[in-house]
Amino acid sequence: MYRLLIKMAWKNSFSRLSRTLLLITMIAVSMSMMIGIQGLYDGMANNMLDKNKRSASGDISIFAKEYRVQKDIKYRIKNAELIKKDLEGMAGVKAVVLRVKADGLGATARKSSFASLYGIDLDAEEKFGRFGEFLKEGAISFDNRGALIGLELAKTLKLHVGSKLIFSTQDINGDINSLSLRVNAIVQTTNIPLDSDAIFVDRKKVQRFLGVKDGEVTQIAIMGEEESLENSLKDKYPEYDVKSFLELQPMMQMMQDMMFIFNSITFFIVMSVVFVGILGVMYVSILDRIREFGIMLGIGMHYKYIRLQIFLEAIFVSLSGYISGAVLGAILLVYLRDYGIDLSAFSDALEMWGYESVIHGTIKLSYFTTTFTAIITASILSIVIPLRKIQKINPIDVIKAEK
Amino acid sequence: MFHFALKNILFYKGRSFTTFILTFISTMLFIVYVSMMDGSHDSMLKNSLKVYGSAIEIYHKNYRELGGNEYLIKDVKTIENKLANIEGVQLFSSRYETYGLLSFKEYSTASMIVGIDPQKEAELSELKNALTSGEYLKNDGQNCIYIGKGVASKLKVKVSDEISFIGGASDNSFAADIFRVCGVFKTGLFEFDASAAFVSKEYFDTLMLSQNKASYITVKVDDLNEVDRINGEIIQALNDENLESLTWRTLMKTMVEAMEVDSIFGYVSLALFLTVIFFVIMIYGFINVSSRIKEFGILRCIGLSKMRIFSLLFYEIFILSSLAIVMATPIAGYICHYYSMNPIIIEGIAEMYKDYGIVSDELPFSFNLFTISWNVLVVLVLNILSIVYPFMYVYSFGPIEASKHV
Amino acid sequence: MIKLQNVNKYFYKGEPREVHALRDINLTIEDGEFSLFSGPSGCGKTTLLNAIGALDSVDSGHIFLDEREITTLGEDARTSLRLNEMGFIFQAYNLVPVLSVEENIGFIMKLQGFSDAQIKKRVLELASILEIDKLLGSLPNSLSGGQQQRVAVARAVAAKPKIILADEPTANLDSANSKKLMDMMRELNEKEGISILFASHDELIRDSVRRVIKMNDGALI
Repeated sequence: MYRLLIKMAWKNSFSRLSRTLLLITMIAVSMSMMIGIQGLYDGMANNMLDKNKRSASGDISIFAKEYRVQKDIKYRIKNAELIKKDLEGMAGVKAVVLRVKADGLGATARKSSFASLYGIDLDAEEKFGRFGEFLKEGAISFDNRGALIGLELAKTLKLHVGSKLIFSTQDINGDINSLSLRVNAIVQTTNIPLDSDAIFVDRKKVQRFLGVKDGEVTQIAIMGEEESLENSLKDKYPEYDVKSFLELQPMMQMMQDMMFIFNSITFFIVMSVVFVGILGVMYVSILDRIREFGIMLGIGMHYKYIRLQIFLEAIFVSLSGYISGAVLGAILLVYLRDYGIDLSAFSDALEMWGYESVIHGTIKLSYFTTTFTAIITASILSIVIPLRKIQKINPIDVIKAEK
Repeated sequence: MFHFALKNILFYKGRSFTTFILTFISTMLFIVYVSMMDGSHDSMLKNSLKVYGSAIEIYHKNYRELGGNEYLIKDVKTIENKLANIEGVQLFSSRYETYGLLSFKEYSTASMIVGIDPQKEAELSELKNALTSGEYLKNDGQNCIYIGKGVASKLKVKVSDEISFIGGASDNSFAADIFRVCGVFKTGLFEFDASAAFVSKEYFDTLMLSQNKASYITVKVDDLNEVDRINGEIIQALNDENLESLTWRTLMKTMVEAMEVDSIFGYVSLALFLTVIFFVIMIYGFINVSSRIKEFGILRCIGLSKMRIFSLLFYEIFILSSLAIVMATPIAGYICHYYSMNPIIIEGIAEMYKDYGIVSDELPFSFNLFTISWNVLVVLVLNILSIVYPFMYVYSFGPIEASKHV
Repeated sequence: MIKLQNVNKYFYKGEPREVHALRDINLTIEDGEFSLFSGPSGCGKTTLLNAIGALDSVDSGHIFLDEREITTLGEDARTSLRLNEMGFIFQAYNLVPVLSVEENIGFIMKLQGFSDAQIKKRVLELASILEIDKLLGSLPNSLSGGQQQRVAVARAVAAKPKIILADEPTANLDSANSKKLMDMMRELNEKEGISILFASHDELIRDSVRRVIKMNDGALI
């Protein structure tokens, strides 16, 4: 009996081929477009989030108290090397870097601009956040008074690889000091403040320049995924300011939340309209055959089998649409992930906003699972009203009635 | 056929209702979404232009690309005399920009310091209106400095404090001086407020040896829509291949591009909604038409031509979508107009997007009849396109085949 | 006058299931005829009717309507011909469900561009003859079978075509309605001079017509 029902459901699903194909096409196109867009937006957001973490704060950062408010080098961590060693031995800590930062004036022979000097350890930064991936031009090295310049700062000061620049600021004693540098590389972290202002130099050199001791830094950044890590560190170092990534960048979380809300609204609207489409087709498909169902009831077929048949028809059509959409969507997402969309024509604008010229998408299983749930739910809901109609059928009336 | 179409619309209520509602929703969505997008873009551009930007700026060639003192404008007076005679030029002023270090006690910060004509600048930009404490600059040849709120925070200074300045003069020598903070401003442009300070050019010229020199000359025009014409006249009047006169579109090219990128993403999202709605309207149209295959077959048998069948379907969709559009457009238009006058306020959005140049928590809509018109046209065209496939399907049946269709 | 010369028609030509539906048909239908194509099911009566009505093409031979050959006409010309010179009555009434009786009857005249006044006059005239004058404002789905078929006849006749082709017009009617219908159609044939060709195996029609053209296996016998 059930094999026959499945066969009947399958054949009925495709008896009006044009109509069914139109519905399948609608589901497939809507679904693939929607998950493509979601993948692209999520890719952009994740990329920005990831690069922000890798280039700036990591998962957790430690500062001296008052440093974040005053932004003054006198508020620095004084035994950073010891703390670093300690941290590296802790469970859940993947990488630790020490950084020294000072704001000042970056100047060439022709132009000058606000700039921030970052003293970093290249090897440690590479392990921490794959710093080498930020390279846009040149070679990542500090040889020959070398410095790495943020992309937007390079544009402002008209710097190229090999250009010379002077960085001036007040040192720990309040004296104005200048540092002569040569650009070895231009980097793009997509972290807007960094790309606009940063000059990366060897940490020890910066420490000497600023007059601070070897183990004194303005920031310790940590990569570590365990949720309890932040609390452990806060307990361990109460004399310092221990902040998570989201505490340092609450706006990132808000931006993510807004993106989530936007995607959810889009999803809801699209699925609602898809539901209307499925409803129309299923309703008409069943109504067209109301006489047939009346006859089936008349010859003794139980309502539950008819209900099952109709249910299977709805599932077959929506599943066909879903599978087509999933295949199309997967192809699109893989393409977006691996090749991205080239918006080089708008590279200036994108770089200004902290995006790369080629935008890559991301793939998440949730795109497919949530759409699956939505489409199947829509198809089941679409047969509720027609089934009610069939339930109320008097077989004699239906058989007698003219079409 | 029109009368026949009306009757069909009233007879097939399900299809008519669904098509009407979907068209109504898509029209509302399209108009309001585009209005919101355009409004926020216009607002960003206007704010950037208003705060410190200019309709037209005159530079020495290579100054913007290379910078440096040799590319300063060296004869400001001659250029200003020429500008005074050009129709459409409302006001102009020269600015001398340089970067230097400002220090107060143990604090110092790099900042852009600009020599301006305070009186003219008050009309050219929002600097005077952005005053938050103290007073605005005067043309009194005093060593007053007018600093951004961010600069004041970094140096921990207040009005009347004295700060030292060191930087490069126009002849490449070092220049140093003491300024008295007479006022603090906040424009809302985060980076600008954190790295800009202004002094009277009259005073600054003596320090920087920049008499009759300028980094550029800024020009305000009577009507922004005439900016290209006026710029053409300026170029003609200047008649100097070492000078270039640029409109705001070139000067803010990156920002304009950024708006275009944002628009592209906005339209991509809209395209998704419209595609889904288009498909559903087409499906409902298709279902309706395929249920009338027999009727169409008979009509063709008795002499209804294919053009007449197409016009019947066309009238049906045209009536339904026009009705929906006519109802949706005034409502959507009113919403756009209302919110263009009374922008939506989203608390914290300026802070969230400060890096992107968002200055205000206001989200104004744009009310533009031309934009609304093409939005509406797109929805109408999509609706009309939705009958193409159903018509092709109907016509794939011969008259006899159709008349026997079950 | 309609003339058929050596008309042949095949279905599924070249395939194993090929059917020779019309075999070498030679026939003349004079103006004002009231005739029947008669024969068993599948003999080709409907196919012949469709060929004469320019609804279907033929594979060989010629069909003339008043010296004009219709076999070589394109689709648009055929449609125009059907609109202006022919009327059709089908087995299953096939009225437009959204139009009232009055609008259904006047439909073809409306397509031809007659004024509302002319249409109204003609509709009232026919409705009176066919005894459907009290139903002019009704929709087809509120009428009985017999009433619907009379509306279909009125529609076919309204624009005074040269010829009316009726395919099994009484198949869905009871005998009383069938007789009534045939009487009315004969009256129209005599009054208006319109040729009416039937395809049917209804004995009532055979008894009503003036000429019976017998067919079997696609050929005239």
